[in-house]
Amino acid sequence: MSPSKTALKGDLGKIAVEHGVIAGDEWVTVPAAQIREALEAARADGYSFFSFITCVDHLARDGGEAPFTGSWEGDPPRFEMVYELRDMERVRLIRIRAFLPADDPVIASAHDLFGPANWDEREVWDLFGVRFEGHPDLTRILLPDDWEGHPLRRDYPVGGDPVDFSQEHQEWQTAPPRA
Amino acid sequence: MADGAAPGMSTEPTTPAGITLSQEGKGPGSEQILTVNFGPHHPSTHGVLRLIVDVDGEVIRKITPVIGYLHTGIEKTAEALRYQQAVTVTDRHDYLSPLFNNLSYAMAVEKLMGVEVPARAQALRVIMCELCRISSHMIWLGTSGLEMGAISMLWYCLRERDKILDLNEEISGFRMHTSYIRPGGVFADATPRFLEMCSKFADEFPASVDEYESLLTGNPIFKLRTQGIGYLSREDALRLGQTGPMLRGSGVNWDLRKNAPYSGYEKYDFEAAVETAGDCFARYQVRIKEMRESAKIIRQALDTLPDGPVNIDDRKMLPPPREELDTSMEALIHHFKLFTEGYSPPVGDSYAATESGHGENGCYVVSDGTHKPRRVKFRSAGFVNLQSTERMALGGMIADMIAIIGTIDAVMGDVDR
Repeated sequence: MSPSKTALKGDLGKIAVEHGVIAGDEWVTVPAAQIREALEAARADGYSFFSFITCVDHLARDGGEAPFTGSWEGDPPRFEMVYELRDMERVRLIRIRAFLPADDPVIASAHDLFGPANWDEREVWDLFGVRFEGHPDLTRILLPDDWEGHPLRRDYPVGGDPVDFSQEHQEWQTAPPRA
Repeated sequence: MADGAAPGMSTEPTTPAGITLSQEGKGPGSEQILTVNFGPHHPSTHGVLRLIVDVDGEVIRKITPVIGYLHTGIEKTAEALRYQQAVTVTDRHDYLSPLFNNLSYAMAVEKLMGVEVPARAQALRVIMCELCRISSHMIWLGTSGLEMGAISMLWYCLRERDKILDLNEEISGFRMHTSYIRPGGVFADATPRFLEMCSKFADEFPASVDEYESLLTGNPIFKLRTQGIGYLSREDALRLGQTGPMLRGSGVNWDLRKNAPYSGYEKYDFEAAVETAGDCFARYQVRIKEMRESAKIIRQALDTLPDGPVNIDDRKMLPPPREELDTSMEALIHHFKLFTEGYSPPVGDSYAATESGHGENGCYVVSDGTHKPRRVKFRSAGFVNLQSTERMALGGMIADMIAIIGTIDAVMGDVDR
């Protein structure tokens, strides 16, 4: 699944720690500390059009596993930043991944490299709680300013009232306690 | 406010609501800079968009868009649904172009599953998407005309749009949120009546476009309100990541249907609409031309509609035909497993993009090998395009801002998701 990184040319190949193709999409993993260098290298390589930034929470359930693309050492990282860039000349896409730890995920902001990254980074901060260092206005964008928590994290409950199902005929006859 | 902003960042709200007088912002030749709150409940914001505008007299000095009033947690909802169920939420965030989001989601899941849909399904997808593009542009044209003083535009546009909604109803049973395109194919084959209605529509529609053009293109008031207004240069459009008519109106020939064809678009003969002026009028012309091209594509797709199935023949992904359930035990098992558990794509992620009426609407799906997606991210064209508001409106008049918001054609449900 992971061809050797020599397949990537230029500076991005030097920064990359892993490189592969999944479901027809090319991807490359870079160290989170070098994300700006990686994005700059990708831009110099022709990937000048920004498609989106997002984050994926790979939190596993207790005792379970949450497999995902890419390899790592030690404990599996929780957050994965995904930068999707497009090369309009040669018509290709590249997905740059960077893994972040569960505690205080921080990554450098790319708002000055790619214009629309500004709002995308605010959205990721809003919904995942990933902090972007150097962002000029890192405030909530979709949720109200006084919202607590980051709802797209996997440990944020979906909400709603639990519905208790019962096989006991007796329980169907009686009204629930709070009704 | 505990969690409201990043540590070290200001937790103050950006600007107080209502009107405030700023004492330090005295510009040359002006008395005072006035901060005005515009929206969120304003008819010209196409939903609930709030703009905080600093004005110097009538001239705009600063615009800060505030979004999120229509945030409905679509992505979180999609994570809680199985793959075949999540199609229903893709309809609902961009309610003016549901088919494009159906298609990008379906293509992303199909990429993960490694399946290819039959040719007839691809052609039906193209027909439905192009109808959807027309209906989306109809709402844009009607409301933009309305805001520019051409009130009768809305009536004519809704008349044509209603025909498209009738077509939606005929093929899928729903008028707006059709969920017609789904992973593995489409909901149902086209009925003979649909093909007849659609053919009639494709033939008649170009005459309707002529009608709109006769109302607007030569209209001196409309031209005054749009020509030279909301200028976005080619460089700015690229730098700000604009897509769709916003980008093509600034002279960049980039259309995913042409440049990165999907769903068999390479088979049809059409042109990407490009204008170089970069103002509101150029974007108007791009959309008008796009509608004509869409009618052309629909005509071609109807004429060359291949025979065959409209769904992949994979019982692990799509339910068996109803008749099989009466006779085949295996079909019953497949049916039961599919509707109790769903299907599980292999671990991985994929991104598929479509050229919607607003620009690049894409869908990024991450699978962790279970029957529910780990993450579904919608790349919304409106969310990105809206960021060019300030670039276009700066130094213009307040009244121009209405034309500029109209020309972005951002659907707030899509922006806020």
